[in-house]
Amino acid sequence: MKNLSGAVCDLASEVVSVLRDGDHRAVISPNGQGPDAELGVAAVRVLGADVLLPSTLHRHPAAPGDLRLVREAVRTFPPGGDASASTEWSHWAMREALRRHDPTAAAPQLSGAAPDAAWLSRLSWQELTHQLAVLGALAVPPAVAGPSPVVAAAAPRTLDLARGFVRAVRRRDWLQAAGAGRWLAVLDSDTSPVPATLGLDAGLDFVLRMGGADPRVALHAHAARLLRAGAAG
Amino acid sequence: MSTLKPETRDLQKSLEEDVEAALNPGEAQGYYRDTRECAALLLIAGAALLSPPAPRPKK
Repeated sequence: MKNLSGAVCDLASEVVSVLRDGDHRAVISPNGQGPDAELGVAAVRVLGADVLLPSTLHRHPAAPGDLRLVREAVRTFPPGGDASASTEWSHWAMREALRRHDPTAAAPQLSGAAPDAAWLSRLSWQELTHQLAVLGALAVPPAVAGPSPVVAAAAPRTLDLARGFVRAVRRRDWLQAAGAGRWLAVLDSDTSPVPATLGLDAGLDFVLRMGGADPRVALHAHAARLLRAGAAG
Repeated sequence: MSTLKPETRDLQKSLEEDVEAALNPGEAQGYYRDTRECAALLLIAGAALLSPPAPRPKK
């Protein structure tokens, strides 16, 4: 059996492929489950709402097979009593994505209040960048995905996140840099603009060039580029 | 079949732990290119290249 990180990378690679092509096709191949079905569901849980990102950004209906697996991942891996905030938020984002893409399938496991997001405003800029990069799947414009307490908490801190982006690039932490870049692409607005001196577009190109071999980096960087291009505006 | 159940449970438990760990990674260890170290290496390499050749006895 393959390990989980390998399965997550394989799945992220599929998401990148559909995201780049813009085609209306399933992320998860119907034949791609096989004997590693449990591992596949776990990989969907780790990648979270990003499994449905191509449908969200390109405004396509999600494939039934993708929806079924996301639903299964939500049901199989609920946050436990001692779950961390990022686990709870990731689960919340999956439930919200399911609700958006499949409103008829209202199920008890999709209900539940949003977790607390106040702790984000108390983080230093370094911690904020790390946490938001971990929650990269939540970096989707509210105009597309609806209101999100995490987006609302992060919105006034574009300057902190810009500093975090530079720090991540200097540390050669490409995954964090790509996640921070994706958040900056979502949060850039007239009220809290991303500093022009950051050179976000060139920075994203650089991150993609240096770290794009990791499909998780490529996923965030391509999502950010699409957002910068106004794909989901 | 009944002997497989604990294994399946173990697998599920192990997957849950892996998922939790994957959803909460610590910050990756960053590495910088230390300017002082690079400069020192450059100076040493430069000095080695620029030093005059060892004198040879004239015939």
